[in-house]
Amino acid sequence: MPATRTAVERLDLEPVRVGYGTTRAQSVALVVLRTAVGWHFLYEGFYKLMLPGWTRLGQPAAAWSAAGYLAVSSGPMAPLFRGLAHSSAMGFVDVAIPIGLTLVGLSLMLGLRSQWGCAGAMVFLALFYLSAIPTTGVPQSGAEGTYMVVSKNLVELVAVCVLFAFRTGRIAGLDLLWRGSDSWRTDR
Amino acid sequence: MILTPEQRATGRRNFLKAIAGTPALATLGAAAAMRGPVRGGPVRLGLIGAGGQGRSLLAAVNPAFADVRALCDINPASLARADEGLVKRKAKPIRHYVEWRDMLEHEDLEAVIVAVPLWAHADVVVPCLEAGKHVLCEKMMAWDVAGCDRMTAAAERSGRVIEIGYHRYYSAVYQAAYEGILKRDLLGDVHHARFAWHRNGNWRRAGQPPSPGYDPSRWGYPTFEHLWNWRLYTKYSKGLFAELGSHHVNAANWFLDSTPRAVLASGSVDRFKDGREAHDHVYAIFEYPNGLTATFSSIESNASEQHYEAFYGTKATLIMYNESEALLFDEGGSGAPTSVEVSATAGGAAIEASETKPGVAPRPSTAAAAVSTGGDRSPALEEEISRFCAAIRVGRPVACGPERARHSARACIAATEAANTHTRVTI
Repeated sequence: MPATRTAVERLDLEPVRVGYGTTRAQSVALVVLRTAVGWHFLYEGFYKLMLPGWTRLGQPAAAWSAAGYLAVSSGPMAPLFRGLAHSSAMGFVDVAIPIGLTLVGLSLMLGLRSQWGCAGAMVFLALFYLSAIPTTGVPQSGAEGTYMVVSKNLVELVAVCVLFAFRTGRIAGLDLLWRGSDSWRTDR
Repeated sequence: MILTPEQRATGRRNFLKAIAGTPALATLGAAAAMRGPVRGGPVRLGLIGAGGQGRSLLAAVNPAFADVRALCDINPASLARADEGLVKRKAKPIRHYVEWRDMLEHEDLEAVIVAVPLWAHADVVVPCLEAGKHVLCEKMMAWDVAGCDRMTAAAERSGRVIEIGYHRYYSAVYQAAYEGILKRDLLGDVHHARFAWHRNGNWRRAGQPPSPGYDPSRWGYPTFEHLWNWRLYTKYSKGLFAELGSHHVNAANWFLDSTPRAVLASGSVDRFKDGREAHDHVYAIFEYPNGLTATFSSIESNASEQHYEAFYGTKATLIMYNESEALLFDEGGSGAPTSVEVSATAGGAAIEASETKPGVAPRPSTAAAAVSTGGDRSPALEEEISRFCAAIRVGRPVACGPERARHSARACIAATEAANTHTRVTI
């Protein structure tokens, strides 16, 4: 053990274990990650729920619908999603997605039933990924980067898998109020 | 303003060079951009007064911003012509009313556009505000200063948006001139401005009553002629000063950030001695503070100068010509190239943007680009109505609220008084 430690070493090496074998730095990082993913979901849901609406700059924004996104699906599962875009189920989809995103976002932000929140986030992200699997390797319309197989949706999906595996609700969040209960069986 | 084509081309080129790189829009606060959306659909709108100007406004409504639910006018022929316009634009039919109070009572409206004869502005606008409606009222603000004051007080009491329709504020070429020339002080000290609106024709309109027994007397018009040609009678109108001059005075007040303190004026019916009361030739000298004097003339016997606002500065002259062109000349010789040092990134395109030659979607990022897009017809009215709707929904300020409109109205009302009394009137 060296006589002096770097700031990172002081933060991370000290075995301040938080319940399930994570150091303080690991715990903080996991909760920050969960909060960031949660905010992403929450604002996506909130924005869609606010439509039709107006931007603060005074431009009207039409009611939100997933139909446009689904109609330009790409990748191997595109036919399925494109078919959905023109189906009668869109009415349900357009209501369910904003509400679902908002609930997932609140769950992850608050650490409330966070395993359920992670599960919901994984379902959403898997659907988003599958509806537009990048297979062309060239920039796609509406995307800010260039992807091959791995898109930002997939990266965020993996990140949520990590959160799910670490059960971050037991580190910080309202889940602590239910500590010891069996509200989420794998969370014990 | 008689200029050769070469001089106009030079002036246009100078102007475009001078405004190159100027942002087309004043930036809004970061706080506005950092906040999320506001819930709500198009503003539910009614139109009071479906005459010529009312129909122009109706045609300019962007359905993404406003949903026009009802129209009203005391002249059935005007309503029929409004319907024709709706059919032509493939718009949905709109319910009609004769009395605006009935429309307010039966329709779920958030706002009204008021385009009735000048004398009725205050009597219509004030109850609308008191009924909780936002109001976009055609210019001039009111027939007298008391009317302006009543409207201002009603707006303050109700907390509703009121805008007076001076659409130069929404014209790409005027915005470019303001942002790129006036705000950057490229004119130097301006001690003189000249406004002219010259036409060669009769203001009197030919028209027939909508039906043989039509009687508008219950609305204050003894005959259909008084209703149809209300601009020619002093009971309803303030004549050329209000209908034309107030555009100039309002634009000058905006550009120069000042308001006139006194006015001398003259006017008479020189050509069309047909029983009208409104002068067909008027002249005025508006005295602004800090050594600025503006002259205005409006005549109906010669159109060679057409209409313009010219601002004469110690460094340069800016001419807003026919609402559609902006010309810039270096001080030292009309038609000479300007010495303003600018990068020449916006060459060439003729400036033809004006409130009657609209179209600003999507908005160009620079003033020069905005001006250069202007060959198409009239986004200024559309922009005016859209901004009014945005003010209702998200609180974005309107360009011409009651304070600004009251200043120009007071000046033009005073000019009318000065012309009638042949005196200098303090404003």
